[in-house]
Amino acid sequence: MASVSIRNRTERTSISKTLKSYFLVSNMLNLLIQSVINGLLMGCVYALAAMGLALIYGVMNIINFAHGEFIMLSMYLVFVLNQLFNIDPAFSPLLTIPIFFIFGMIVYYGLINRVITGPPLSQIAVTVGLLILLRNTMLAVFKAEPKGVPFTIFAGTLQLNGYVITMSRLLSAIISIFSLIILHLFLTKTYLGTTLRAVADDMETASLMGVNVKKMYALAFGLGSSLIGLAGSLIMTFQQVNPLTGILYGLLAWCIVAMAGLGGVSGVLLSGLILGVSESIGLTFWDPRAREIILYLIFILILWFKPTGLFARR
Amino acid sequence: MRILGKNMLTLLILSIVFILLPVLLQFNNYYLFLATTITFLAVIVSSWNLIGGFAGQLDLAAGAYIGLGAYTTGTLLIRFNVTPWLGMIAGGLAASTIAFLIGYPTFRFGLREVWYALSSAALVPILRTLFLLWEDVGGPAERYLPYYSWSFYHLRFSTYTVYFYILSAFFILILFINIFIKRLKIGYYLLAIRENEEAAEMLGIDTRRYKLYALILYSYIVGMIGGLYACITGYIHPSHFDFWLSIQVAVLGIVGGLGSVAGPPLITFVLGGVAEYLRSTLGAYIEGLHLIFYGIILMLIILFEPKGVSALIEKIAYRYGRRYRRF
Repeated sequence: MASVSIRNRTERTSISKTLKSYFLVSNMLNLLIQSVINGLLMGCVYALAAMGLALIYGVMNIINFAHGEFIMLSMYLVFVLNQLFNIDPAFSPLLTIPIFFIFGMIVYYGLINRVITGPPLSQIAVTVGLLILLRNTMLAVFKAEPKGVPFTIFAGTLQLNGYVITMSRLLSAIISIFSLIILHLFLTKTYLGTTLRAVADDMETASLMGVNVKKMYALAFGLGSSLIGLAGSLIMTFQQVNPLTGILYGLLAWCIVAMAGLGGVSGVLLSGLILGVSESIGLTFWDPRAREIILYLIFILILWFKPTGLFARR
Repeated sequence: MRILGKNMLTLLILSIVFILLPVLLQFNNYYLFLATTITFLAVIVSSWNLIGGFAGQLDLAAGAYIGLGAYTTGTLLIRFNVTPWLGMIAGGLAASTIAFLIGYPTFRFGLREVWYALSSAALVPILRTLFLLWEDVGGPAERYLPYYSWSFYHLRFSTYTVYFYILSAFFILILFINIFIKRLKIGYYLLAIRENEEAAEMLGIDTRRYKLYALILYSYIVGMIGGLYACITGYIHPSHFDFWLSIQVAVLGIVGGLGSVAGPPLITFVLGGVAEYLRSTLGAYIEGLHLIFYGIILMLIILFEPKGVSALIEKIAYRYGRRYRRF
């Protein structure tokens, strides 16, 4: 009897052990799936945030270091619109997109147009000057406190088979993909988009064909900035903004552009998704503070092994 | 010495000015602190000139090298009681090793400059986070260097005068290096790489190797200065990896004029003083206001003269020279 009970006990413990490990594995698996879902949703928004940079860099070949600060500016704009006029972040793109289009035009004609023929390093110096200006203006106006929008109609969560999906992220991802598709159609199907791509491919030949290159540059800068205006509103539905947000998003966008290479919209979307997923997995399984390390390790590895980008056209 | 020629006199006068400066400032601690920080910046900007001005590679990792030098020196002193004089050398080695690891893949021929700029910029936040997570050496709390009011072995002094003299010696040294390299073969190689990399490669210059030489020299000096910085501040903390410093150094180098020996340090002394004046007057009222003006001044200089202040000085000298000739 005694031996039987002992055997039973050992069996029971072994069963419970296997059960435990099974639960552990399934738990890990659940965590993995959950973080992949989160990463995919974030990746779409990241891709939208980087698309403006990819457009400006691809068409004008200019290195806009103030890109992250533009994103930060649009997030603050959404916050101000919400506080002053009680406009929900979900609807603020209707205002931020035109405002940022005009803002991009002003920056282009005021600053970039004057240095576009100059040495590349002085172009960088101008955009870095803009970075310092924007970041510290925001610091002076809003102080170094994070600001967030108290309520959006995007709030709430969706339970799907045990996995939690945040509504704001889901809707933002859907809107991002939708606008990227529209951008893709614009670039491939319309006359203006084709002209823009011609300038990106070969500026001199395009100007010989009668394209007004300066106008196309202005259009690209305005379009890129208005994409930032949209991305800022979407990010604002689930995140807060502080004056340091700019550098994080700027380097993130550069990472995506490096990964995508100079290709089409789909390359930017795919590399945004890859970065979003790897960031989210790293956050879950390693350390939440290690976010930058994961992103920039990927960035340096890509430069090391495939410097033209994963999805480059040429 | 033949290379130095007439520059020798200028350097001599400059070093006499540096030696007399603390006396002229009447050993006022605030002014000496100001002179120390500005000279600190000028040393980094002048050595940035090697990679940025001569080789034309936008390096944004100055903050990372400073932090690495500070952590190496500080950790060696705290853990093993190694004198910072040796620790600075080790710090320089650590900085150059990391610089080599970043430079080797990104200096490949045919890769655009922007990727080196971005990977070096990324180095600063990576290392800061790494040292924040690495609790044995860094961690979120400050680690203090042993305190002595006056110790040559520990490089701790209760006045800024000594630090100012050490940094001035570094500054004169880096000016020497700048002048030498500009006149040596490697200087011409680097300028050729900056102007046209394809043509330089076609003429048989190993562009990657010479860019790496410039990078290693630059990062070594900045790493050493980082070790000194740890001794000046008296503690080591992940905030020593300062992205703002990287940007400031690169921008001052560009605004000063690429490849000019005198321009970048000159503009550093002027703008450094202006920034501090603005900070003490405007920064007291509204946080960040002085940096707004700093950004505006920077953009105006570049819009006015895209080739930097050294070109502006040359232009003015040329114009006045012609007028004098006419009279």
